[in-house]
Amino acid sequence: MTAAITANLPVFVVIAPLFVAFVLPTFARRMRLVEGLVIFVEALGLVGAGYLASIVLAQKGIPIIYRLGGWPAPWGIELEVGSLGAFFLLVIAGVSLPVALFARGNLTKEVGSKERVTRFYVLYLLLNGALAGMAVTNDLFNVFVLVEVATLSCCGLVSARNHPRAAEAAFTYLILATLGSTLVLGGIGFLYITTGHLNMGFSSQELGRIWQDNPHVVWVAISFMLVGFGVKSALFPLHLWLPDAHSTAPSPASAILSGLAIKGYLICLLKILYNVFGHTLIQAFAVHRILVLAGMVAIIAGSILALTQDELKRRLAFSTVAQVGYIYLGLGLVNTKGLTGMLFYLASHAVSKSALFLAAGAMIAATGKQSISELAGIGRKMPITMAVFTVGSLSLVGIPLFSGFIGKWYLILGNLEAGNIIPVAVIIIGSVLCAAYLFPIIRTAYFEPVADEDWQDPGLPQKISLILLAVAIVILGVLPGPFLELASRAAAEFLVLQ
Amino acid sequence: MRDFILKRVAAIILPFICTYGFYVILHGHVSPGGSFAGGIIVGLSFIAFSTIYGIEKGRARLPETVLTWTESFGTLWYGIMGMVGITKGAPFLANKLAGIDLGVPGTLSSGGLISLIGLGVGIRVASTIVTLFFTMMEEKS
Repeated sequence: MTAAITANLPVFVVIAPLFVAFVLPTFARRMRLVEGLVIFVEALGLVGAGYLASIVLAQKGIPIIYRLGGWPAPWGIELEVGSLGAFFLLVIAGVSLPVALFARGNLTKEVGSKERVTRFYVLYLLLNGALAGMAVTNDLFNVFVLVEVATLSCCGLVSARNHPRAAEAAFTYLILATLGSTLVLGGIGFLYITTGHLNMGFSSQELGRIWQDNPHVVWVAISFMLVGFGVKSALFPLHLWLPDAHSTAPSPASAILSGLAIKGYLICLLKILYNVFGHTLIQAFAVHRILVLAGMVAIIAGSILALTQDELKRRLAFSTVAQVGYIYLGLGLVNTKGLTGMLFYLASHAVSKSALFLAAGAMIAATGKQSISELAGIGRKMPITMAVFTVGSLSLVGIPLFSGFIGKWYLILGNLEAGNIIPVAVIIIGSVLCAAYLFPIIRTAYFEPVADEDWQDPGLPQKISLILLAVAIVILGVLPGPFLELASRAAAEFLVLQ
Repeated sequence: MRDFILKRVAAIILPFICTYGFYVILHGHVSPGGSFAGGIIVGLSFIAFSTIYGIEKGRARLPETVLTWTESFGTLWYGIMGMVGITKGAPFLANKLAGIDLGVPGTLSSGGLISLIGLGVGIRVASTIVTLFFTMMEEKS
């Protein structure tokens, strides 16, 4: 029994959330059962991801290959839990468990009736399953299917609040994200035409043999992928849907959308760029320069846009645009340190941004106020919430002892190794700008006179969830050991290929 | 609609359409079509029923709770069929490796678990398409 479970774990981490998602609608009226099941399956996911990560660490980076239906690679579909897969599975489980805990008993005010809350959880688990699939898949068409599942569940999550603004934001997102999916599908189609394989490894081998004969097809495929995933992961000029979508969603949804959903698309892009095209093609087509440039523009522009917002959740949403810039910048650094930094920053941002969004959601729920200037003195009324918000901000700015610092440090090291000076300056300026848009919130909260109102910290499950995320940020910052090792192994594996 | 001929003809034809849908679902692996196309045909027979006999009668035939259950368990059935392989010590979704007799090629049983998996997908597609139809009809009124 246990042997069967451990042997099939790579597929269980994907299908367990999906299974529960399909069962949930039939229990729509029994809220406690629904919430219990969701938290249970998230906890199982964390255990499974931890076990897989320990195996991958012990095997010195040899990936676990799982063949669906027992069919070998070029014909069948493969799941591959390598260093990258285990790393991202841990990130997914580590963020989605606290978020599910935060949502417990807390959604009816924002979402509405029990049926709507159940529907929210169904979409939440579907998104979770799709992200886990993205972490382990090794098949190009699976990438497309999972991207579609994630996109549609994100649209549902954005429109979960019964509000006209939410519907508008979801519709904008749906249109733009469908455009992105179409481009991704087009890119996969071009790859399939030229290589005749959907399996990433085989596709990559074939591409390495023939790309010099068909450079135009590779160009088209790369640009389709970049723009398609760029729309989905809100790369700066393509970010238009993000601020509305992430600020109008209910706060657990904002946390999971900003923290994880975007990262799923980035992991897909990373896999396609480095596992299919490979670093030789990236350098031959100068894609890495485009990525670094796009990342720098996104950091500066996103930070400046965030500075101009007074609404708390909108400021955090624009901050996501800036932080995605760091990850794109890291994607373009074709060396181990840079890619390690990118992966670590991705995990760090996932944890920090979901902590920030959840804390912001708790504050907005307690006070009913949306804008930053109205939250004077909230630090003394809601000490735990504001403390977690502060920890998240410090991590996002990149103060030592918090997770963001290590990511940024490795990004800077990677840039220096690649001989880029301007991106280093941009990373530092971005951190200063980040402090400029986050620290005023903390100053307002702690050092301004307290308004005479009855604001209180949220309930116990919400407190636990916030504290869990804050602890995760500090642990990642102080003892990054195994995470950093998984990230650097994944980065090294990307550069070994070809 | 109060057309006598239409109602009589529908009463005769609809059961056959529904059965044909299930035929297409189950023979997905040996003939054109499959669970999606067959599921649409099954759903279509219910949609035609509700347009001809009136939406209330259609709703009475397929209440929302039934649709929710079929929708959920159609997909869950897919997963359960996938688990058959795991219980036999083979990977998820294994077919022949799970010890299923594949019979004579070209016949219904030659797909092993595929036609059963298709049944789950077909039921899911049928109930989804009917739910979509009911939702759109409600929005209109």
